[in-house]
Amino acid sequence: MAPPGVPTMAEPAGRARAPRINPELLPAAVVLACAVLLIVASTLLNPGSSFVPQLDAVLVTSIFLVVASFGQGLTILLGGIDLSIGVVVGLAAIMVSTLTNGSNAAILWVVPATLGFAAFIGLVNGLGVALARVPPFIMTLASGISFYGVGLAFTTGLAQRPVAPGLVALMNARVAGVPIPVLILLGFVIIATIFQNGTSDGRKLYALGSSPGAARVLGLPIAGLNILVYTLSGLCAGISGILLAGYSSAATIDIGDPLLLPTIAAVVIGGARVVGGRGIYLGTFAGALFLSALETIITVLNLSQGVRDIIEGAIIVFALLLQSERWRVARG
Amino acid sequence: MSAALRRLGRLHPTGGAVVAVVIFLALYAIYAASEADATSVFGLTNLFNNTVVLAIASAGLTLVVLAGEFDLSPIGVIAIANVVMATTSVGTLGWFGALILVLVIGAAVGLLNGWLVATLRLQSLAVTIGTMIACEGAALLLLPAPGGAVNQAIVDALTGEVLEVVPVALVIIAGVLLVWLVLARTRLGIALYAVGTDAMAARLSGLSAERTKLLAFVLAGVAYAFAGFMLSCQTGSGDPRASDTLLLYMYASVAIGGTSLIGGRGGVFGTLFGAGILSVMQKMLFALGAASFYTSIFSGIIMLVAIFIGNASELLARVRRQRVA
Repeated sequence: MAPPGVPTMAEPAGRARAPRINPELLPAAVVLACAVLLIVASTLLNPGSSFVPQLDAVLVTSIFLVVASFGQGLTILLGGIDLSIGVVVGLAAIMVSTLTNGSNAAILWVVPATLGFAAFIGLVNGLGVALARVPPFIMTLASGISFYGVGLAFTTGLAQRPVAPGLVALMNARVAGVPIPVLILLGFVIIATIFQNGTSDGRKLYALGSSPGAARVLGLPIAGLNILVYTLSGLCAGISGILLAGYSSAATIDIGDPLLLPTIAAVVIGGARVVGGRGIYLGTFAGALFLSALETIITVLNLSQGVRDIIEGAIIVFALLLQSERWRVARG
Repeated sequence: MSAALRRLGRLHPTGGAVVAVVIFLALYAIYAASEADATSVFGLTNLFNNTVVLAIASAGLTLVVLAGEFDLSPIGVIAIANVVMATTSVGTLGWFGALILVLVIGAAVGLLNGWLVATLRLQSLAVTIGTMIACEGAALLLLPAPGGAVNQAIVDALTGEVLEVVPVALVIIAGVLLVWLVLARTRLGIALYAVGTDAMAARLSGLSAERTKLLAFVLAGVAYAFAGFMLSCQTGSGDPRASDTLLLYMYASVAIGGTSLIGGRGGVFGTLFGAGILSVMQKMLFALGAASFYTSIFSGIIMLVAIFIGNASELLARVRRQRVA
């Protein structure tokens, strides 16, 4: 996609004026605050509930989106996109439930095997994008459609299998009063933030995303970084799928489809630009949390599905509008 | 090469579209060889009926993609069009009134998208997710569960043949192609390519990127609505969730047809064949007795093959352009 007519020359000048504060932190903080406000509002609207359980509930239901959006955010950071995420989530969920088949015996090799398969799909995407130079939009769309067919081939004629009780227990258990998924979520967010914004690999991704030409001159391993990012995206979708299978205690191959577009929305609401080079993971996390909180509050309001969709769509547009306003102010 | 010839070459980008035509003919040949019905009037009508909704919707999407933007709202517009047809086309409005209503709705959604993307400069890939979800919500409000009925007159007329020989769906697809061929020669058509190739250069040469993108979204919205109208004629009833699976295949049609998803290259001609490939492939695999999941696997592979060949021809074109320069 061509940049929407924004003169790129203005950006470095704006940054030079305020070099100390990371300018991406502000939108992330604003979106995070909005998400917390939504959770508070849903607590108030739901008599008999209090803030902490409501927060736990939102965090637990947001984990699938939070994890999958990390991969999406990395691909968008490089100016790409991953449209296979929904399919990979579904495949991982169905693979983990089919192979464990309701017992804990196989869980030790099934989980790594599932993650390996998910990462493999990501690797295929990465190889196609980096070496065969297929545009990411097409590469991930094509591999998603194809692997969906592979998944259908393996599941047709099979009855739905229950997920290993160990995974179901993991998604429902608590340690010291805190649900385990919330701990997983916090751990994931910390690791992901450190990777994206604290390591040299992460910085290379920003360099490559904001200026592929300059990255080439610098001698950055462009192909390697692309392959790394798409493999990580597949892996994250795999983790998300396994958690989703545990959460819903049964899996279908379509279970991940509703996650695909929200991952893109979460990344963009969090302050990233689809042309690449901008956005931090904290923003993506805030965007994912915001969308999950929105879903929760709309459920609490007990509205019909049609009204819910209209409100959700309008709020996504509105969130993007607020962001563009911020940019205009920042530039001026 | 003269300037006029070069411009003609851009309007009829041979690279991707020719690949799509060749693949389409090859798949159709296999289908015809393994299924006697393939060449009968009945078989052809069936094939084009299966293609027409995807073809019209993808043709609209092509305009937006050429201008360098994305649009994820088509399935929302198709859903609204479908439920409006199922709830109004039998009543006092009649099928023609319902069609006009549906097209106006499509244009309105397109105008909204265009305003958000072109005027307010929001990122199209994200903002059209919002309008898509809102449109699906509106469709659910109009018709909460599958049902309703579409005027039987158009159900019969638009799924059959003209004079019992030519499938109506083929005539409609040809009509869409004709509209495109005219559009591509207008100022707007040329502006689409210019804006999609380099928005800054287009603006410097006096074209308004904002107006061009706005019009692309509006025309695309009308096309999605018309696709929803044709879908209603085929199903004969309304279903607010009927179009959910269509979106990925629309992008597949556009990509297979040789249109670059970053804008500026390609055209509706290739897209129509891209949509044709996806539906003839389904027929071919069925005729060969392959299980249905092969359809998905092959869709992905054909996309990649088409892109590979398209990339190669793009490379050739670039080399040629450099030699000219």
